[in-house]
Amino acid sequence: MSGCGLFWRSVAARFCRAPAAFAVSRRPLLTSPPSRAFAKELFLGKIQKKEAFPFPEVSRDELNEINQFVGPVEKFFTEEVDSRKIDQEGKIPDETLEKLKSLGLFGMQVPEEYGGLGLSNTMYARLGEVIGLDASIAVTLAAHQAIGLKGIILAGSKEQKARYLPRLASGEHVAAFCLTEPASGSDAASIRTRATLSADKRHYVLNGSKVWITNGGLASVFTVFAKTEVVDSDGSVKDKITAFIVERDFGGVTNGKPEDKMGIRGSNTCEVHFENTRVPVENVLGEVGGGFKVAMNILNSGRFSMGSTVAGMLKKLIGMTAEYACTRKQFNRSLSEFGLIQEKFALMAQKAYVMESMAYLTAAMLDAPGFPDCSIETAMVKVFSSEGAWTCVSEALQVLGGSGYVRDHPYERFVRDSRILLIFEGTNEILRMYIALTGLQHAGRILTARVKELKRGNVTTIMETVGQRLRDSLGRTVDLGLTGKLGVVHPSLADGAHKLEENVYYFGRSVESLLLRFGKTIVEEQLVLKRVANVLINLYAMTAVLSRASRSIRLGLRDHDHEVLLANMFCSEAYHQNLFTLSQLDKHSPENLDELVKKVSQQILEKRAYICTHPLDRAS
Amino acid sequence: MSWAQAILVARGLSRGWGGVCSTALTGAPFSQVPPQAPRGLHCSAAAHNPDSSLVPRPPEPPRRPVKALAVHEELFRPALDGARDKANFVQAVQNFAEYNVHKRGHVDFIYLALRKMRQYGVERDLSVYNLLLDVFPKEVFRPRNIFHSIFLHYPRQQECGIAVLEQMENHGVMPNKETEFLLLQIFGRKSYPMLKLVRMKLWFTRFKNINPFPVPRDLPQDPVDLASLALRHMEPDLSARVTTYQMPLPKDSPDTMDPAETHIVGIQSPEQQSALARHDPARPIFVEGPFSLWLRDKCVYYHILRADLLPPEKREVEEIPEEWNLYYPMQLDLAYGRSSWDDYEFNIDEVEEGPVFAICVAGAHDQATLAKWIQGLQETNPALARIPVVFRLSGSSGELLASSDLEEPPPPPPEGQEEEDTQQRQQQGQS
Repeated sequence: MSGCGLFWRSVAARFCRAPAAFAVSRRPLLTSPPSRAFAKELFLGKIQKKEAFPFPEVSRDELNEINQFVGPVEKFFTEEVDSRKIDQEGKIPDETLEKLKSLGLFGMQVPEEYGGLGLSNTMYARLGEVIGLDASIAVTLAAHQAIGLKGIILAGSKEQKARYLPRLASGEHVAAFCLTEPASGSDAASIRTRATLSADKRHYVLNGSKVWITNGGLASVFTVFAKTEVVDSDGSVKDKITAFIVERDFGGVTNGKPEDKMGIRGSNTCEVHFENTRVPVENVLGEVGGGFKVAMNILNSGRFSMGSTVAGMLKKLIGMTAEYACTRKQFNRSLSEFGLIQEKFALMAQKAYVMESMAYLTAAMLDAPGFPDCSIETAMVKVFSSEGAWTCVSEALQVLGGSGYVRDHPYERFVRDSRILLIFEGTNEILRMYIALTGLQHAGRILTARVKELKRGNVTTIMETVGQRLRDSLGRTVDLGLTGKLGVVHPSLADGAHKLEENVYYFGRSVESLLLRFGKTIVEEQLVLKRVANVLINLYAMTAVLSRASRSIRLGLRDHDHEVLLANMFCSEAYHQNLFTLSQLDKHSPENLDELVKKVSQQILEKRAYICTHPLDRAS
Repeated sequence: MSWAQAILVARGLSRGWGGVCSTALTGAPFSQVPPQAPRGLHCSAAAHNPDSSLVPRPPEPPRRPVKALAVHEELFRPALDGARDKANFVQAVQNFAEYNVHKRGHVDFIYLALRKMRQYGVERDLSVYNLLLDVFPKEVFRPRNIFHSIFLHYPRQQECGIAVLEQMENHGVMPNKETEFLLLQIFGRKSYPMLKLVRMKLWFTRFKNINPFPVPRDLPQDPVDLASLALRHMEPDLSARVTTYQMPLPKDSPDTMDPAETHIVGIQSPEQQSALARHDPARPIFVEGPFSLWLRDKCVYYHILRADLLPPEKREVEEIPEEWNLYYPMQLDLAYGRSSWDDYEFNIDEVEEGPVFAICVAGAHDQATLAKWIQGLQETNPALARIPVVFRLSGSSGELLASSDLEEPPPPPPEGQEEEDTQQRQQQGQS
């Protein structure tokens, strides 16, 4: 045991000692600088091929580095982390936390000059796969570094970084992100926590309480968002949000008892109260009054890792479930011989494959030089992977039947743990709005001129549009250049590529007509936005899968034929889903039940109850 | 009409039923049946106000042989302890059957019994109606051939049967299988009571739940409970809270006339509360009323606290703050809105009204009582202390005056009218 400890320390030490290696490896290969964000261009019916094809690779050296690092971590997670005990006791044991710290896992994305590992997003994603084996640990670590200390990395000054990051990276201090309040979820305007400048203008006095703070009980450094009075450029005084770095030692920081949660029970979630906490002005994160942007940036950057984390969990889950399905016998046949069981494995493998592809594609985009805006992509990864996790975990449990439902098996824990994925880091509903609206905003700006001409009744534009529609309705073959002689997609995936092209083209058309129809009032059409987001998620997933499978074939990676199967299966499925969704987006489409849905829900919500009479009721 | 009557008269004469004939001609109870007869199966009984029934009214019956009534009347003598309940009623009906084996005068008895039902509190009891129908002799009035069923066979009895069903209808009592079976036995399938029954069975179920805002059948007697029921009935927001600002003094206390002692019950929703908090203190708000609200047979008078509509130039445009939603944009930065061919809103000319901040039901409608309500409201609405409150109480409430109050000169209605008119003018001027 002590030997093991030594080994880890030596690994960690090696990583700390070898900043040079990482400095090189932080920039994975990417041939050209990004021109535009990939997802936004999809809204215009275009595929930005350079962004997604070929599937990003890491260099040999970098891969070796990752593998060397992943090995011991994986060993630690499979051999020493007792997820069941963590879940039952509702606490991660101290020695486990210590080992996580000694492995350097508390500072994965902290730059090396501040004592962190300085991992690129791709490597962070790779490690996430391992960490995802225990949801409580994954959430604790994510709360610490994906949001807790991210503010300091993104918006902190040099002094702040030097002061806080080393101890945070080593795990000596744990960070927490304090944004949510009883009255304020995603509504920033209703934040009640207030910071007032003291008379000597050297301190802010912080008052208020925050709820559902992961690591709230462990943390000693908090990123806190509070309202401050800011004098506007026109001289008026306004309440604006400011971000602060608050140490527990500043005084007046208390936390409630840990919440009793459904899943991720090992993570510490509690209320945090600030009472006359004196925060020095040097601890303002970013600008005074600029907290909103800081919060948004932190939230947007924290999401992409969920894809690989979930994929790692799913891969393990598939193995465990397959083991059961092949050994359990019914009617002298093993479960694996039944079609309905087989189907579940195909589904799980497909989801895992897709989310893995999306996660690594996005990670590579984020690693690209410059500051690429991949917030839509990360949100899509989060939505797809959280929902995939939920379905797959529940299907896996279904394979086990009754024995999956009891606590002897880990499946019920997986189900409980994975439910939170749909909720935190922005609920999937909210993220769908974000995905759709951000894209529509982009498309709307570009299409404005055209839409204006159409509205004004410019004959040429109208004729052009009508002609285009006519050609579309006659069933044109869409070719966006993914396949063919110099195509980026391998011929054996040509079918999927055509489907993607067709979907992308008609999605562009749909977006245009939606903007024409609704204009800026589309913000209110949440059901429409949901569909737009769903199509986009599918399109992005198809792209990622095609790109990855093409690469595998071309490089001749092991079992690439299996990947082709999964890719084709997913593309077909997503294609038909998209067709259906796009037809729902058409005006007067019979598939669209929005009006009915709205009526039903309105009536129910008016009465705040289920309305129908009991089937056994009589009129007389 | 005349045709039908002629037929009936002819039939009545031919059968030597002078009595029936005379009632038919004088038209009091019987005339209500003929309009139904010629229209036959296609139309239900003529529409008449809900209070009217086919049961002949007791003050009228000088035309009717009084002796028979008097005979049956004694069956309904109050019991020794003066109680009048279902058991007594049933006893009376059974006594009739016992006392009169040949069921002579059963039609008169049934009419009498129908009139008495309310006194015994059994007017909503299906079994009692069935018992009454059971008084009819069976098989006697069934049509025996096609001519019987074409012409009104035993009209007086059928009319009486219809009267029973009519009273059931008025009290919302749905006939059951037993009723149907009794009617079959008494009048046969092709008879008017049977037709009435079929129609009742068809329409009752359809009309029973037609009111989307149902009122409980038995209203609470306590004025406070009744008031809160009325308030809940008017307020669409389910989050609204009913507050009893003042409980009435017990009835036996000497000075119940003192308005300070009546009940004051109010309702206010959280939204109304916040709207009141946002209200510009420079603009007065008004207490208006009383307005009437009918709950079944009870009338409740209520007052509202309202403000005038803001003139358009003063209305705050609800703007979306820039940094509001942490996760997604609340508005798109686009130059164009919804296209006209995607605007499904009907062009409705809506009359905009000023906001209503609270409603109350009080026992008295004078300013002193309502001022107490406003005082009570101030506890939950501190903003109210700064806003001037104007009492606009119209004298003519339309309230029904008890006969004892008639000596007081009722407030001249034109005045109230004028007041309202001036108010309207003011509002128009302001808006």
